[in-house]
Amino acid sequence: MSTVESGIPGLDELLQSEAGYDLGGIPQNTSTLVYGPPKVGKSIFSYQFANHGLNLEEPCLYITADEGMKQLQQNMIDFGWYLQNAMEKELLYVIDSISSLSGAPIETTNTYTPSKINDPTDLMVKVGIGTRFVFKKSNEFRSVFDSLTTPFAFNPEPMVIRFLKTYIRRLQEAGSTLVITYTEGVADENTEKILKSVVDNVIMLDGSYLTFRSSEGLMGTAEYQITNQGLVLGEGEIL
Amino acid sequence: MKKTHIPKLDDFLGGGIPEGSSVLFYADPGVECEAFGYQTLQSRLEEGDSGFIFTNVTEPSSIIYEFEKFGWDLEKKVDDKRVFFVDGSSYFIGAPVTGKYGIEDYSQIEDVVIKAINDVPDGLGVINNLSTLIDYLDDGETVRIINKWNQVANDNKTILIYIFTEWDYENALIEQIKDSMDCLVNLSTIEERVIIGQGFMVTGASWTTPSSNRVLFNIMRPGGVKIFIPKILVTGPFNAGKSSFVKKIAKNSVSVDRMALGQVPTTIAMDIGHMEYKGFNADVFGTPGQERFDLILDILSKEAVGAFIVVDSTAPETFARAKEMMKRCKAEAIPKVIVANKQDLPDSLSPEKIRKVMNIDQSIPIVPTSLHLNEGIEDAMDALLEILYR
Repeated sequence: MSTVESGIPGLDELLQSEAGYDLGGIPQNTSTLVYGPPKVGKSIFSYQFANHGLNLEEPCLYITADEGMKQLQQNMIDFGWYLQNAMEKELLYVIDSISSLSGAPIETTNTYTPSKINDPTDLMVKVGIGTRFVFKKSNEFRSVFDSLTTPFAFNPEPMVIRFLKTYIRRLQEAGSTLVITYTEGVADENTEKILKSVVDNVIMLDGSYLTFRSSEGLMGTAEYQITNQGLVLGEGEIL
Repeated sequence: MKKTHIPKLDDFLGGGIPEGSSVLFYADPGVECEAFGYQTLQSRLEEGDSGFIFTNVTEPSSIIYEFEKFGWDLEKKVDDKRVFFVDGSSYFIGAPVTGKYGIEDYSQIEDVVIKAINDVPDGLGVINNLSTLIDYLDDGETVRIINKWNQVANDNKTILIYIFTEWDYENALIEQIKDSMDCLVNLSTIEERVIIGQGFMVTGASWTTPSSNRVLFNIMRPGGVKIFIPKILVTGPFNAGKSSFVKKIAKNSVSVDRMALGQVPTTIAMDIGHMEYKGFNADVFGTPGQERFDLILDILSKEAVGAFIVVDSTAPETFARAKEMMKRCKAEAIPKVIVANKQDLPDSLSPEKIRKVMNIDQSIPIVPTSLHLNEGIEDAMDALLEILYR
């Protein structure tokens, strides 16, 4: 199976360590839900995944739903990751569904577009445009949705799930490898179950351990720390 | 009859929308659908009618801004009390409720919208977006309320336009919603791994037998809904019959070509024509086959929505070139049909044999044709239309 490098030090090695599986990264063209309680590094995981791909010239569609574009850029700069270059090279397309909440009109550029947090129709239109944009660069691209937390706060839960199913289907058809983040406990238990069932892989972050489970049932776990290089995994084991 | 002034739509509807009718614009997720509601409202306001917008997707101020991007001044019409908002969004995102009516609880929605309908007799109301309502109310309640609104609107001669994104709802619910409407307009995507185009078609109207044509469109800012005449490429190796094929599907095509003395006449620039087939309109571009003109392929392939790859069924040695040209035209990313020409010749390979030799995926139709005998040309066009609109 082909894989994409996660960019998380230790994670690709962990997934490679068991000879029978030999993943060496996240399976290509799959969807991965990264979830856990607040403040455990889910967004940082997203930054790292996107940034690593951009460094490899893999285009990325990035949907930022919890923090606006400026905040996203600032947060990434804290780790020494700069998006400017990727945007100039048109490798990155950002959909910002939160900044318009401020009420101020926001201009669209060729690599950035605002959407609205409680308008899934508009968001899907923008996803279509953004997907086409990055797909033209390469049909092997990454996509990040960080995170579902805010959409759940502003929309009925079944609506978010409907959106998510369409989103995953469209991006997988286009060839993307997807990361989607979610803060545990925001939606009700049943919705969380559905959420985990519509993705291929899940990564659970609990603040000290990262646990990966692939659609094939591969499980791996390792301790991690949040450093100034982002998430870094220690020795791990395949379960 | 009230005109929408959306290009082609009024023709398809037999002139426009009768007073008091309900119209459902139902869209594949990813299609820009609200512009259809907004443009119809704008047209009605310009012709002196009054109207309202019910929104549960964004605040009124942001809709005014949307209109501004289309080049329409909604703010002035709000100030002049020609149009008003039913704000079903602001409260839920913690913004101040604006508009003539506001909704702070979904239990109020039925009555508030009825009030709004009664405020605009002979006018028009836009409901944006019906799909977001469904998960707040329940299925049965949604259908009941829509039927009620349509009844009130009909009595009051108010046109109601619903914007509806067709997420994965139960079929039964979608059928019930459609049954409650006087007119249905489908907005669909044209996809080949990604969305490459969007089209609309009237699928039902109680007052007329609508045209079954599907029209491709773009949403322009400024401008609104504009008809999009897509580009269809005809490509393939040298001497496969591309120019003849273009002439068959586009009767008035012209060849921009130059014949070198003593050589076989062949296209060295391109063939251009316009095809009209079963209501589908497109500009047809035939590309040159020789390698020294490969540079042109890049330019011609931009914005194409479909391609015919013409191959000479008697010349398997050219198949590698045909595949290379598909790649150069970026044809892997658009819907395409392989036209297996020269089937009338004794040594021609069958479509199945061609599929094997060229190693072509089953999803790509290979249509046996003989341009010489005029056979298979409509089959090829049908095959492309089918994958464009599936």
